[in-house]
Amino acid sequence: MTIVYRAIALFILVFVLRCMFREKDFWKQVTATMVVIPLVLRILLIK
Amino acid sequence: MLSFNKGTRASAAFLLAFALVLAAFTGKNFLEMRLPDRVVPAPGFTSHMLSEWFPNISGTPVDTPVFTQDSGVPGGSVLIMGGTHPNEPAATMTAVIFLERANVSRGKLFVIPFANMSAFGHNSPQEASPQRIHFTLPDGSVRSFRYGSRATNPVHQWPNPDIYIHEASGQQLSGSEMANLNRAHPGVEDGPLTQRLARGLLELLLREEIDLAFDLHEASPEYPVVNAIVAHEKSMMLAAMVTMELEARGVPIRLEPSPKNLRGLTHREWGDATATMPILMETGNPSQGRLRGRTDEDLVMTGQDKFYAKAAELGRLFIPYVTDQPMDLRVARHTGSILTFLETLEFLDPEIAITVEGVPSYGEILEEGVGAFLSPVPDQ
Repeated sequence: MTIVYRAIALFILVFVLRCMFREKDFWKQVTATMVVIPLVLRILLIK
Repeated sequence: MLSFNKGTRASAAFLLAFALVLAAFTGKNFLEMRLPDRVVPAPGFTSHMLSEWFPNISGTPVDTPVFTQDSGVPGGSVLIMGGTHPNEPAATMTAVIFLERANVSRGKLFVIPFANMSAFGHNSPQEASPQRIHFTLPDGSVRSFRYGSRATNPVHQWPNPDIYIHEASGQQLSGSEMANLNRAHPGVEDGPLTQRLARGLLELLLREEIDLAFDLHEASPEYPVVNAIVAHEKSMMLAAMVTMELEARGVPIRLEPSPKNLRGLTHREWGDATATMPILMETGNPSQGRLRGRTDEDLVMTGQDKFYAKAAELGRLFIPYVTDQPMDLRVARHTGSILTFLETLEFLDPEIAITVEGVPSYGEILEEGVGAFLSPVPDQ
């Protein structure tokens, strides 16, 4: 169950990063940055 | 060159690096909460792990230290447990005071300061709780203890079901209660972690033939069962005598019977499943209440909150609240009540009485503060 959860979180992280690097608006990139932090913590099972 | 209008691959890379630095910083911060608090047991205590009584939790994040002091003189066995809910810190600190001060001259004392060790390792989401609380000792040193969550860490037990069904009774509760130790008793041998932890505690009670067991808590000032003793039928005579004694000493306290149809709690399940007389006690903790304002260490330690002061003016609280509800008072209430229980047990049933010396009284804790009765941590 946990591995599925982590895989889903990783999948979302990859797409957030893909969007972040293609985004032309700096402030939308900042928004993506704020999404990246909890996703990283969840994938690592820290929080 | 970064532009604050135009997003580029360079700005994305910069922001990603920034995010990773922040994730590393916060991750370290969160992981430090999983390190156990250091305690300094009084001479005579021996340290064990709960898994010695129940191997099914060995090596898991819910295995927790159990400290025992056996006087060698025949008498009763008493368990003092704090930390069922780590966001109720006066409970933990009371158990720590007994652990660091008690000298048992008759009978056997068991102390579990951090009952749900997993729940100490994180904060409840969206509560803005502090991670730690601090106490200054007479020698000027400072000791800190974690302020955790009501629930087992979801990193350790996940996911919660939509509806939690208490196995022993079939009682249905909100799914989040699956991670609440005080809805898990008497536990499940091969169940989820919280239920296994409860089963381990039951095993300790059964194998050690504990005569009197305290499960210490705190509650919101607006919750009716606060500044209260909750007693199973078999503990009721003792609890009634203690209540009268405390009232006579100027410590107002309620006595509540353990509801027979509310299952999973220590005061019900320990009483039904073992020979133990279970006692659950609550003090008033504004830092966990719904009416509170800013939530920080100061609120945990002092209980000062203008919204609770207003609620008290309006007669909406179940504790005598004027301007505060400090940690010293809350720990003094728990400690003084336990000492009164032990004194009263001597009258009620001398064969299972235990004698504990060295623990500060209600008045001493109020006068000198909790920090005065903690021991300095020796250098590692």
